[in-house]
Parts: sequence; C-alpha cells; structure tokens
Amino acid sequence: MSAETKKMYGILAEFNNPRQLIDVSKKVVELGYDKFDTYSPFPIHGIDKAMKLEKSKLGWIVLGHGLLGFSGALAMMYFMSVIDYPLNISGKPFFNAPAWVPVTFELTILLSAFGAVFGMFFLNGLPRFNHPLFTIERFKRSTDDKFFVCIEATDSKFHADQVHEFFKEAGAAYIEEVYE
Amino acid sequence: MSHQPTITDNLQFSADSKLPQILFGVGITGLLVSAYGYFTNADQFFFSYLVSFTFFTGIAIASVFMVMFHHITKSKWGVVVRRIPETFGANIWIWALFAIPVLLGIHNLYHWSHEDAVAADKILKGKSAYLNTPFFIIRQVIYFAIWGFVGHKLFKASIEMDITGDWGISSLMRKVSAPAIPLFGLSIAFASFDWLMSLDPHWFSTMFGVYFFAISFQSFWAVMILMVFFLQRSGYLKNTIGQAHIYDMGAWMFAFTVFYAYIAFSQFLLIYYANIPEETIWFYHRLEGSWKYITYGLLIFRFVLPFLILLNREQKHRRNILAYVSILVVVMHFLEIYWIAMPTLSEHGIHFSWIDLSTFLGLGGIFFGLFFRRFKQNSMIPEKDPKLGACLEKSYHQ
Repeated sequence: MSAETKKMYGILAEFNNPRQLIDVSKKVVELGYDKFDTYSPFPIHGIDKAMKLEKSKLGWIVLGHGLLGFSGALAMMYFMSVIDYPLNISGKPFFNAPAWVPVTFELTILLSAFGAVFGMFFLNGLPRFNHPLFTIERFKRSTDDKFFVCIEATDSKFHADQVHEFFKEAGAAYIEEVYE
Repeated sequence: MSHQPTITDNLQFSADSKLPQILFGVGITGLLVSAYGYFTNADQFFFSYLVSFTFFTGIAIASVFMVMFHHITKSKWGVVVRRIPETFGANIWIWALFAIPVLLGIHNLYHWSHEDAVAADKILKGKSAYLNTPFFIIRQVIYFAIWGFVGHKLFKASIEMDITGDWGISSLMRKVSAPAIPLFGLSIAFASFDWLMSLDPHWFSTMFGVYFFAISFQSFWAVMILMVFFLQRSGYLKNTIGQAHIYDMGAWMFAFTVFYAYIAFSQFLLIYYANIPEETIWFYHRLEGSWKYITYGLLIFRFVLPFLILLNREQKHRRNILAYVSILVVVMHFLEIYWIAMPTLSEHGIHFSWIDLSTFLGLGGIFFGLFFRRFKQNSMIPEKDPKLGACLEKSYHQ
C-alpha cells in the first residue's frame, strides 16, 4: 500500500438490495470498524440501528437555537416597549406578556428551523466541493438502484487485504479502492 | 413485506372478570349519593353533574374521532390499540341516557331557559331563536343520534371483520368515516356551545368548539395511554402492544398538548387584546378570586410541564413518565371543565363540593363499566384487520 502515490480514502463495496446492506452493516460493526458509511438511494428503516449510529446531536442544536429565539424575542420586545419607546396602547401595561407571545413563538420557531437546517449542514460537513467517492463511476448508481458500503482508510483496524476479503465473503457485487 | 401476523398473546379479556360489576357498583352508588345531593342543593348537583358529563362525553367523542382518522388515513400504527376507542364509541348511544339529567336541570343550569329573564333582556331575546328549550332538546337528540350511530356502526363493522375476516369491510369503514368527520366537527362544536358556553349566555367565543375538541382530544390520549398500561399490567397484550405503539401514543399526546395550548391561548389572546367588555367578562371572572389559581395552573400543568417533559424523544419511551403525564393531563382536564362551568355558580372563588366527587365517580363508574362490559365480549384487538401484520412488524423494528 505504501507504494501508492495517491492516498487511499477507503474501500467501496456495492450491494444489490437494502436487506444485504443492513446485514453487511451489522457485520462491519461486529468486526469493530467505526469509520464507515453506507449509501442508499432511499432511507432504509433500521439502518441506523444496524450501523450502531450514535444519537444525533441535532436535537440539542435545535433546542439551543430555540431558546435563543425565545429569550431574544423577549429581550427585544422588552427593550423596545419598556425601555426605549414605551407607548400607551389602550391602557395596557408596557410589559404586556400575553401580547408578546405570538412574536416570541414565531422567533422560537424561526431560529429552531435555522438551527435544524444549518445544524444538519454543519454536522454533515456541508457544503463541500467534492468527495473522493464521486471519482467512482459506479457510485453514481447509489442515487438509482444500488447500495454501497465504504470502510474508510483512517479506521484504526483498516487493512486493505482484510477489507477486500471481508467484502468478498459478504457477497459484494463489486469492490473498488477509492483514492483521494 | 407483510407477513402472516403471529400473535402470542391471549386476545380475550377474562370473561369472568368482575370488573364491570365493580365499576357499575361504584357508578350506581355514586349516582345514588349524588341524588341525595339533588335534594339538598339542586343547583350544585346539576352543575357538578354537567362537569362530569361533559368530561366523559368529550372523551367518548374524541375516541370516535381517533377511529375515523385511523380509517381515512389507512394508518397502520394503531391497529393494535384501535379496539379501545371503538368500544368507547360503541357505547355512546347508551350514554345518551345520561344526557337526560342535563335536560331536567335546564332551569338550574341555563339562565336563558327562563322565559321571564329572556323577555327582560334584549341580548337574550336576540339569541332566543337558537337558545330556547325545545330547540335545545332537539339538538341533544341530533348530536347523540350522529355520535351513537357512527360510533356503533364503526364498532359493529370492526367486530364483523373479526368474525368473517372480510377485508372489504375496511373500505366500508372508510366510507362511513369520511362524511362523518365534518358532521362530528360541527356537532361537537355546537354541543360545546350548548353545554358549556351558554352557561353564560351573554358571552360568546367562536373558537369555543375547537377549544372543547382540543381539550377532549388531549385528555383522550392520556386515557388511552393509561388504559393500555392498565391492560398490560393486568397481563394482557404484553407482546402485541409494543414500545413503538406506546411511543406513538405519547407523540400524539405531545402533539395535542401543543395544539391545546395554541387553541386555548388564541382564544384568550383575541379576547384580551380586543378588550371588548362583553367578551372580557368571562376571563375577568376567571382571573379573580381563587379562580385565578386554576387559570395559571392550567397554563403550567396542562401545557408547560407536559410540553417540557415530553419534548425529548427518550421521555416518550419511558412508561412511568408517560403514565405520570397522562394522570396530570386527565386531572387538569377535569379542572378545566370545572373552571369553564363553575364560575357561573360561584363567581367569587372555587367552592368544591362533595357532589363534584360523587357525580364524577358515579358517571365514571358507569362509563368504564359499560366499556369493560363490552370490551370483554370481544377480542381486544381487530384480529383480522388487513393492516395488523404491518402494525405488529413495527414492534419488531424497535
């Protein structure tokens, strides 16, 4: 491997159906690889369990943003209608909590939505210009009718021969080494 | 991917269970004790009765709603729990009998039913085309005819499928449900206007129908969750109703906690902000004296706490958390109806009476007695439903 001039990204294996993908993911986890990913044209029920994925941190990011929107809205309205420019509106108090609820609600939702979308981008490492897997011609079918597993070279247990052997045994339809 | 459903549980609720008799015993005792209350304090009796009556009727109507939503969306997740709301719905036509005391107490409950009061009051005169005794009685008959018919029809069809295994019945149930949903929407709204809103006949809120639906539907899910836990604790359906189904019911309760808050607050905000005396008076009474404790209590214990507790996904998987929140929601539901109705009787503050408790136990005993009497006669799940296999598979994925 050291003879290669290009750095290896990982080894990609192609499978024909989602059931196989789930079974292979379970085996990959059993063998102790933790830097790997699966690619499929559609979401597969139960794949997250098979891959033993950790619970996403996205919920906490959304909660943080939601709380920011909540307190930000209250702070903004408090500054505007109590400190900076108090206006008497039909004799209601300046600190008018019920009337502030809609704005607080909207800003909480708005920032939560931002948190969800941009937090998802951040956790996925997006946006990026290219990915080593895009150099593989057959990988294009991961958006059509094929299912892929890629074990990455940075994994501490990664040995190219063993991974090749493992994918062959698991019944991969096609195996290819991926270079960065 | 639908396999032949394999069910390892016994699907029959014990036929020699004495539960219905015990519940009927509680119910009849409660009602007899309440009848004594009628002779000592008739106004208190009728108001207490009305609170408990709307409490249980709301849950029964919400059950039929759930069954109808289930059919028109062809949803798979809840097939294993569907027999519970179906059974609640099947009893509505019997339950109509318990609307009679409300009609008998019409003069104690409703100011607009006194003809001399109407004659002296311009606003009531204007409303008398709708708010008059004969039309009120006719409306009650229409409501219970709709609810009783649809509830019983959907139950009967489902039982027939248990016996014949005819999957064509699914489309029959869809055909009944689709037109019945708007009918239910209208009838539950008008029923809530009649029973609760017209207690204060000068006051009106166009959102009141949705509001009554929202409170009933939220507490319906709480009752469902508690009922499922009760059955599983008694050893039934332990392998049939899985963690995924429990989670889904928790998610429904969470969703309708938010919906409840949205509707209840919208009703309050519009009235508060417009600040028109004839509308604000209703909330004014409820923010005065000891009533304000219930007002703020509803905000905290019916929305804020359940919302924060159920927000996290993990919490909806924890049975004891779901059970505590459900109990909280049911208690707050009772207090909310109490808070809607009772200020008409005691304007200046909360005044609990033993009749509140006795009518609640009385009607509750009858309500659940009727439920279990019917529930033990049939399979506890729609065992031949075409979507049962898919529903059970959901459990295995967890």
